Amino acid sequence: MEMEIDIKRLAKLARLKIDESRMAGFEKDMKGIVAMVEHLPEISDSGALIDPSAPMELREDVSESKYRRDELLKNAPQTQAGCVVVPRVVE
Amino acid sequence: MKLYEMTASELSGQLKEKKISARELTEAVFARIDETESDIGAYITLNRETALKQADAVDQKRAAGEPLSPLAGIPVGIKDNICTKGMLTTCASRMLENFVPPYNATVMDKLAADDIVITGKLNMDEFAMGSSTETSYFKQTKNPADLTRVPGGSSGGSAAAVAAGEAVLALGSDTGGSIRQPSSFCGVVGLKPTYGSVSRYGLVAFASSLDQIGPIGKSVRDVAMLYSAICGPDKMDATSVRKIYPDFTRSLGKGISGLKLGLPKEYFGLGIDSETKNAVLAAAKLFEQNGAVVKEVSLPSTDYALSAYYIIASAEASSNLARFDGVKYGYRTPQYENLTEMYEKTRSEGFGTEVKRRILLGTFVLSSGYYDAYYKRAKLLQKRIAAEFASAFADCDLLLTPTTPGTAFKLGENTDDPLKMYAGDICTVTVNIAGLPALSIPCGTDSKGLPVGMQLIGAKFSEEQLLNAADWYESAAGLRAE
Repeated sequence: MEMEIDIKRLAKLARLKIDESRMAGFEKDMKGIVAMVEHLPEISDSGALIDPSAPMELREDVSESKYRRDELLKNAPQTQAGCVVVPRVVE
Repeated sequence: MKLYEMTASELSGQLKEKKISARELTEAVFARIDETESDIGAYITLNRETALKQADAVDQKRAAGEPLSPLAGIPVGIKDNICTKGMLTTCASRMLENFVPPYNATVMDKLAADDIVITGKLNMDEFAMGSSTETSYFKQTKNPADLTRVPGGSSGGSAAAVAAGEAVLALGSDTGGSIRQPSSFCGVVGLKPTYGSVSRYGLVAFASSLDQIGPIGKSVRDVAMLYSAICGPDKMDATSVRKIYPDFTRSLGKGISGLKLGLPKEYFGLGIDSETKNAVLAAAKLFEQNGAVVKEVSLPSTDYALSAYYIIASAEASSNLARFDGVKYGYRTPQYENLTEMYEKTRSEGFGTEVKRRILLGTFVLSSGYYDAYYKRAKLLQKRIAAEFASAFADCDLLLTPTTPGTAFKLGENTDDPLKMYAGDICTVTVNIAGLPALSIPCGTDSKGLPVGMQLIGAKFSEEQLLNAADWYESAAGLRAE
């Protein structure tokens, strides 16, 4: 049985806006891709998925000031008084 | 022979003996770019002025008798998803069209310490999602072997630049085959290193558990040189493996006597073009005639690998690409009423179709009710695939397969059919899933005259053995002038 895929809902979750005219195309592609990936064998769960031969090592949690604020803000789409500007989020 | 046609190791010798200067070499490569770039379209950004300054600095250091790395003065092109301080890093996306990183990726700091010359930033599939470089927002790169065909992807600009002489060496990145497949299509050598051996700090993340930066060059020795320069532990990447790495050029020339080479039967089955299959089997024969032991092995879960790959890679991509929201950097839509609309319009206008497709797939496989059926199962399968490789390596030193099911396809041939495009990754994705090193090396041409590539796969951290065997083959098959 072909699975129903709610592109509108997925797009909303992913903060994407899909044009109505392109909705059918995405739905067709996604159905095809999901049909391709859904035949995975049942595997009994056995242990952690972390590779014990390559343990991760985290850095010490200390702050360092490697960059200047103005350098970092150069890439921001809109700034004011050394801050990024976004639309109002509180009433 | 023209300078741009020579290998990095030949040029390194000439630079050292002062037969040529780094400026002469850099000028020769940019002259070649001027000659062919309008046909090939490998670069998004050219770094001509700075490159010449870098070359002059190398020449001055050499004149002053300073000790220099073998890569000093060698022109190297960089895939445009590797952050270069002060130089555009676009990921071939409208989203990052104007992004200038305030920092260098760790690999760029390492190459700067080795005094390489940066030619520019190379075209790729948008955010490395694709197998033909056709999803780039900016331009179409063409295969130097046949301008009507794709160079492969996602590191298509990197492979095409090296093949066309528009860079002596290049860096690419490989999440599911993105170094090896374009290397195969363009007839050059590409190495996807062991996961954790090259720092990913400053590589714009696609699928963090699979991504790895690696070298592309005209010869195995060139690839060994560049790999030696970029590998090593890095505290800025938690998945970087703490170990001591050798100079990999010293592991070459050791011969292949007694080498146990496995041919996984699943990689020679349905869907593999017969000319490709025959070229790879002929290479296996050459190994056998020269003292290697060749035997058939089986990796039974190969059939499921593509599914597991697209689930894991898309899940990680949907999460990694959540950062592109138009707030701190990158594109922001000009018109919006509120924050949600700003996010949605920014992302919809900034990302191309293939990127949206992968984000939607990733969102789907991670969403409530589907997580166990898709993502969790794929992760368990990942473990099984890794175990199958490990048991094959108990019997064999290396595995030999085709790099791709066929040779380079025509521009536009697969763009309307994502499934057909994805199917071409079948021989390469397993290596990323298992975190292994693998190398693609040319092994002849098909009847259309297009390069055929073969893939050598090794156990984790077996790069010395892998590069030595590939180097032996390159010489034995007459692929280089001795």
